Amino acid sequence: MTAKAILTDTTLCIGCELCVEACRREYKLGEDKARPWKMRIDDLSATRYTTIVRRPGNRFVRLQCRHCRQPACVSVCLVGAMQKTPEGPVVYDPDRCIGCRYCMMACPYGIPRYDWDKPVPFVRKCTLCYARLGQGREPACVEACPTKATIFGARDDLVAEAHRRIRENPGKYIDKVVGETEIGGTSVIYISDIPLDFLAWRPDLDRTPLPDLTWVALSKVPPMVLGVGGVMAGLWWIIDRRMKLAEHKEPEKKT
Amino acid sequence: MSTRRHVLKTILWAIMGVLAVVTVARFMRGLGATTALTDVTPWGFWIAFDVMSGVALAAGGFVLAATFYIFHMEAYHPFTRPAILTAFLGYIAVAVGIMYDLGLPWNIWHTIFFPQFRSVLFEVAMCVMLYLTVLALEFSPVVLEHRWFNRPPFTSIYALLRKATIPLVITGIVLSSLHQSSLGSLFLIAPYRLHPLWYSPIIWILFLVSAIGLGLMMVTAESFFSAWMFGHRLRMNQLAGLGKAASVVLFLYAILRLGDLAVRGTLGSAFDGSWQGNLFLFELVLGALLPATLLAFRGVRNSPAGLAASAAMTVLGTIGYRFDVCIVAFYRPEGMSYFPSWMEIAVSLGIVAGAVLVFIFFVERLRVYPEEHESGEHGEDPRPSPGPVFNPGTVRALLPLSLAAPRFYSIAFVGAAAAAIGIISGNVLHADPAVHTPVSAARTLDGVVGPPTGGHLRDVRVLQKDIPVPGGYKAMPLLMINGNRDDRLVLFSHDLHITKFGGLLSCVKCHHENLPFDKNTTCDKCHRDMYNTTDTFRHASHVAKLGGEKGCVRCHRDTKQVKDRATATACSKCHADVPPEETVVKPKEGTKKGVAAGYMDAMHGLCITCHRQMVQQSPKEYGPDFARCANCHRDFDAGQLLRMGPYVEAARGE
Repeated sequence: MTAKAILTDTTLCIGCELCVEACRREYKLGEDKARPWKMRIDDLSATRYTTIVRRPGNRFVRLQCRHCRQPACVSVCLVGAMQKTPEGPVVYDPDRCIGCRYCMMACPYGIPRYDWDKPVPFVRKCTLCYARLGQGREPACVEACPTKATIFGARDDLVAEAHRRIRENPGKYIDKVVGETEIGGTSVIYISDIPLDFLAWRPDLDRTPLPDLTWVALSKVPPMVLGVGGVMAGLWWIIDRRMKLAEHKEPEKKT
Repeated sequence: MSTRRHVLKTILWAIMGVLAVVTVARFMRGLGATTALTDVTPWGFWIAFDVMSGVALAAGGFVLAATFYIFHMEAYHPFTRPAILTAFLGYIAVAVGIMYDLGLPWNIWHTIFFPQFRSVLFEVAMCVMLYLTVLALEFSPVVLEHRWFNRPPFTSIYALLRKATIPLVITGIVLSSLHQSSLGSLFLIAPYRLHPLWYSPIIWILFLVSAIGLGLMMVTAESFFSAWMFGHRLRMNQLAGLGKAASVVLFLYAILRLGDLAVRGTLGSAFDGSWQGNLFLFELVLGALLPATLLAFRGVRNSPAGLAASAAMTVLGTIGYRFDVCIVAFYRPEGMSYFPSWMEIAVSLGIVAGAVLVFIFFVERLRVYPEEHESGEHGEDPRPSPGPVFNPGTVRALLPLSLAAPRFYSIAFVGAAAAAIGIISGNVLHADPAVHTPVSAARTLDGVVGPPTGGHLRDVRVLQKDIPVPGGYKAMPLLMINGNRDDRLVLFSHDLHITKFGGLLSCVKCHHENLPFDKNTTCDKCHRDMYNTTDTFRHASHVAKLGGEKGCVRCHRDTKQVKDRATATACSKCHADVPPEETVVKPKEGTKKGVAAGYMDAMHGLCITCHRQMVQQSPKEYGPDFARCANCHRDFDAGQLLRMGPYVEAARGE
């Protein structure tokens, strides 16, 4: 199956939040609850998988899980509760999860949220409506968008469409398809007339997928087992032998 | 038993009492009610202290096992058993700490059944589990030496375990070096969140080397503890040797860390005076450079004070390193700082207290210190008599001496637990957490309202100090309606509406319903969310008011029906004055009892419907414009918002 994606064109978004409501209805998310500290109530949360961020100049940017092509959350999960499907969505299996929240630490976009107020908590995030895709339907947010600011399709087509829009409207957009290549690319891509650096923790995202950084150290595990084990066993044997020899020699000296 | 040990054990039991209460709260109410963790700080005190620091502090076990068993340094034999016991209890403490931190701890076995070989955390989890097993096997000969196990099946197991010592030790060293380093590798995934002074491609080497240095110093610290607690003599020759080794390892760690920064070209940011730079320098000097330098001097190594100070600095500095990586230097947006709740700290302290109690228990009953044992320090009696010094006279008079001490610990435990129940906030232990939605109430600010321009339409503006009030404009307070909580406000003249609808008696037209004991409930009390309906009906308070379970039938008249909102008596049956007769908005009948509409629906329902009606009544006075969106939403224009800025700021600061 071809990889699907969502393209959001922030110049078309009017901030009506129908996508947020469609998502809320689709997943029966209920009422937004109060957050501690200075977290905004209309930020992403366990009861809000997508939200609209207002930026200076009356611009609206929709936040949701970026569904990375090489997701950090999937690579760090120690029980495989996070999985990248061939269709594109990064899905979460609550029955597998043990609640370590490493996915939340690892996400370069700070997306996964947690049921902090529940005694049996789960990780919550957008699933790109994986169940709906199986029925041949679009994600609920895309279906609800009245201005076609957010559209769904094959990733390759959408990347081409994004470049076409930038090319055919010179000066309208910043010449960058956000999510095309950074950290291996994402399945939710943006084009915009305002900088979208705020989407990640830091603006200077590299092309290297994050799981590769871990793999550098993790691939050293087998050599380390053999190395440390071998050196320790060897040292023990050598020292043990020398000491035994010394013990045997000592009485000889005395005599 | 000495008074000192008695006092310490009493304090530890008191901490355990607090732990018991917080444990109930943690597992009944969840992480949000008991911790300060948020979505931007998913890992907090428990991971940084119980796991990251705990594993590092328990490094003495494998370091000393290597020193004695692999390098055959016989002089260190007296240190091995306490070091392995410390490590064993340390790792059990880590495991217990993880159980508190995990959201779904009962699923921990998934780690074994759904292995993910690309996950560092999987490797850490497996190594910790296996190493815990190895430590248990390494320590079990000490248990089996007890005279109770001096019979057939146990003696052969003992012999087998003694033979397996070397393979076990080597396995333990391999597992330890793997997960000590992998705890650092956990952060390789977050290059964009962890500050460059701490993020390093070789962070796993730094974690391993610093853990070895800390392990050596922890053996020293443990010796000081047992000298202080059990009166054992300090073996200064061996401790000086450990100090010398620690000095070398800590220097290596500092050189690696600074060298790595230099190679990557970020060394400059350590000296730029930023708080991160200063923190980095402080942590490195305290945890490595200063103790390493001190321990390099023979005089310091050979003095108990010098050794103790160096050990304390290494412990604090290395714990600081783990905290910085895990919490302090881990980026979070402005204003979303994290400080652990007292319950998080209580859990960590409680786990440590438990570990220390078990340590003392083992020392009292087993040959943890074989040399001291043989010199008659502990005697042969496995049940040492409780000290008479610490017991208050009353307790001692009432109880036989052997029971007085345990009873005293119980009093400490129960007393501390009771105090903890008192301190714990009500909505953590025994009530539903209160819902405080941070909706700003409609605030007032000074404004000017122009004369009617065509029909009833008026120009409404915020009063500005430096701009004179235009002719024909009247100054009056304006309400800022801020339904979206994003400071895009609607300016609403309350005074004009009161005049229009006929004085103060017209309040009910808009203020359709008041909460109990409230005279004019502000909109945001019920209309909490822009889009969602809010439950304004409190079942619990009705139950209490109507006399508990006897009162059910007062509302649920038909006992055969399902007792839900749809079949219950309407609110207005009892509360005749809610809503008042003339109100414009009436609560919908049927399933919608006790439900307030979302903020948007309420505003639209009130303003637009009323204005439409008024236009019907007197179309000349009420221009058709009033029912149009832009009439209220004209501040949507960004220029206007900018102009309002300072007033909005001032109003927010109230």
